[in-house]
Amino acid sequence: MFEAPPGVILEAEGRLGRALVARRWRLANGLGVIAVVDRTAPIISYQTWYRVGSRHEEVGRTGLAHLFEHLMFNQTETLLPGEFDRVVERTGGESNAATWVDWTHYRLSLPAAELPLAVRLESERMSRLVLSPETVEPERDVVTNERRERVEDDVDGWLDEQLMATAFDVHPYRWPTIGWMADIRGVGLDDIRAFYRRWYAPDNATVVVVGDVDERRLLELVAAAYGALPAGTRAPAPELTEPPQTAERVRRARRPIASDRVLLGWKAVGQGHPDWAPLELLTTLLAGSPSSRLHRRLVIERELASSVDVQLTPFRDPSLLRVAITCARGHRAEESLGELDQVVADLIARGPDEAEVQKAKNLAETDFWAALVDADGKAEALGHHETALGDFRTLTELGDRLAAVTAADLQRVAATYLVPRARTVIIAEPDGSTPADEGVDEVPLAAPVERRAGRWRRR
Amino acid sequence: MSRPGPAVHVAPSADAPLVWIEVAIRGGAAADPVGVEGLHRHAGLLARRGAGARDRAAFDDALDRLGASIDVGVGRDSVTLSAVTLTRNLDPVVAMLADVLAAPRFDLDEHERLRRETPQVLDEIRDDDGALATRWFDRECVPGHPYARTSLGTEASLERIDLDRARELWRREVTTDNLVIGIAGDVDEAAAHAIAGRLTERLPVRSAITLPDLELTTPAHGRRIVLVDKAERTQAQLRLGHLGPRYGIADTAALLLLETGFGGMFSSRLMQEIRVKRGWSYGAGCTLRRSRGRHWIEMWMATAIDVAGEAVRTTLGLYADLAERGLTADELALARAYVVGSMPFHQATARQRMQLAVRDTLFGLPAGYTTGLPAQVADLGVDDVTAAARRWLRPDELVTVAVATAELAEAGLAAAGAGPVTVVEHDAY
Repeated sequence: MFEAPPGVILEAEGRLGRALVARRWRLANGLGVIAVVDRTAPIISYQTWYRVGSRHEEVGRTGLAHLFEHLMFNQTETLLPGEFDRVVERTGGESNAATWVDWTHYRLSLPAAELPLAVRLESERMSRLVLSPETVEPERDVVTNERRERVEDDVDGWLDEQLMATAFDVHPYRWPTIGWMADIRGVGLDDIRAFYRRWYAPDNATVVVVGDVDERRLLELVAAAYGALPAGTRAPAPELTEPPQTAERVRRARRPIASDRVLLGWKAVGQGHPDWAPLELLTTLLAGSPSSRLHRRLVIERELASSVDVQLTPFRDPSLLRVAITCARGHRAEESLGELDQVVADLIARGPDEAEVQKAKNLAETDFWAALVDADGKAEALGHHETALGDFRTLTELGDRLAAVTAADLQRVAATYLVPRARTVIIAEPDGSTPADEGVDEVPLAAPVERRAGRWRRR
Repeated sequence: MSRPGPAVHVAPSADAPLVWIEVAIRGGAAADPVGVEGLHRHAGLLARRGAGARDRAAFDDALDRLGASIDVGVGRDSVTLSAVTLTRNLDPVVAMLADVLAAPRFDLDEHERLRRETPQVLDEIRDDDGALATRWFDRECVPGHPYARTSLGTEASLERIDLDRARELWRREVTTDNLVIGIAGDVDEAAAHAIAGRLTERLPVRSAITLPDLELTTPAHGRRIVLVDKAERTQAQLRLGHLGPRYGIADTAALLLLETGFGGMFSSRLMQEIRVKRGWSYGAGCTLRRSRGRHWIEMWMATAIDVAGEAVRTTLGLYADLAERGLTADELALARAYVVGSMPFHQATARQRMQLAVRDTLFGLPAGYTTGLPAQVADLGVDDVTAAARRWLRPDELVTVAVATAELAEAGLAAAGAGPVTVVEHDAY
């Protein structure tokens, strides 16, 4: 083990994969640095994770976190407009960013020799971003187009917005990561600058580096570039607790689609909760593979749906276990919902056998390893766990948590969480001239509505 | 005399306890019989739905219990079976993949179920504006070209797919020499070749099939617009392009620089003009489709409906300028640096290296062709790139496909200088 540069302390260490080690270091100003030396290719993934997402926004100023995902590639005090992308692309590298409810992160994928460039660029835009009408207004237009493409003209994005807006009454998860269109258009420059000052600071960030690096050299560069940046002085965001849902919520509307779509969600748990692992395996058991219960029942046996997907959103606070169903031609949403209820009731009554549990574990193990196959995937997994859950080692412990799940655990969490009173159902029905369109009883929906739970990427 | 057998590419890596196997069967959608579009897809999916002693349910269950998957991908040039498995379960997964290749059941009930399912995939595409624009563009770019055939099929062509055709296709195309096999991950070279042997040991020993001729040229037809009418759109999903060259010709390196400099990076000309300067679209880019034969040069963007015509006019102007003058020296330098510097990212993992090798072989290119392109671009100057642009870019032949609400978009598009507008219903294809 090498001697760390002055002012840099080692905080935590954990294994990653078969042979890699992840270490978290800390600078005096609060900046976290997670390093993984991985020499399988001459590249690095350099990611900067900020503990700010759409949950940190306010009513009337939604979409600010995501707007920064765009603004951060613009001008800084030493970089001209467009220069950031040009210097990255001149190396053969790429940059991107993503925003979700709990975090925003910026990714540079660069040749290993360009580590100093990564440190310079990211430290620069952490503190010296230029926010002016000239840098903000063009990106505002781009984001409105992004929203049109991914929400207004996309039934899946529209369903996601409806679901979150209907399921949550209090928690900021109820508004869209991309923001309401009115907020995107209306947020002022003063608000934008205040948001930057509040959230973009070393003590609110973690740099995650995976790749062909010398770890001590990395720490020296980071300490030199970021060490003088002052820590922020932000007040903590208010912790809002969503009150328990007491009755099922059902909304329906007409859309220009070919057949019924359903998106529903049961109130579930945050990713750090002990029940998260059994619920995650439950999603695999329900619809994670061709032989899974819901896929077999809805798509193969009854032919009521052309697809069914189940996801547990990996949020810090309690979110949703979601089921998305695309109904088959000539079949209505209610038919699929009836079968879904039967599958869930059977699962609660009898539970899975050990072989089915082991099947779900094997599938989850394959997915786990596949997500860590490249440098970007490793850095993203580490960054998410560090930022959303507070410690990257929750990633390395995930395998053990999943392996410890029993059939009784799955039966218990199904009985606990998959209950009607905790469910929100959004149904989209064709609004064209198809016969199936007749007789739809349209109920006014919440407006504005929120966007998909999928994370937002810059491009 | 020994036979050549299947091409086998191996990329070992002990990073994770996973093994990826890809078996590409030469043929693909371009080899579908005219009027029976969707046949290769149907045969490939059907082969996966029960093989050897297992019917579909038993096959799915056995594979899932291993934590593995076998997916079927249908491209223009091949049908590809892609498997991934935990290393500890490699042996039974190889046996199941070998069954799919050598002993698919082609059960009648699964055939009929798949015939009922596929039109629903058409519905899902019609619900997705981007996918819908691509489907229509593929049809309209060069009508009559084998790559204009839909891999999914149409309602009419699906009616003509029967079980005997699917079985016959599998018998004809799944032969030793018609396969390209790639194996990557937690397996050594010798073990990988043994796996390839197990996958092919029950297959007929026959030469590769004769593939369709893809070198056809088409008469000039001028610019035209196909407006795919869909209700309640706020945007126009736009695709613009024409027939391009085959991947792997002498001009490919120069065209790669054109693609990169014009529409392959964030700093590219098209992205800067459409997104950065004007804020018209979330993204804008240009792609040279990589295939075994001549395929499209394609540009894409999604704009608000009220600026769609203006965006098309601007794009036409940019493309015409590119065709005449190529890239500037600065653009060329940046594109060259990007092409050279980005290659390590395209082969960073064993799976990526395997897939690149499989693709080059499918396209009839020598080993290492794609990974060798950076060396080829190093010597190319502005004049070389401009000459390639003049040889291959055809701004007067651009076909534009727009998915939008016709009553809102038609006037603007008609005034864009992109040719006459034909309006079609979004679910007419």
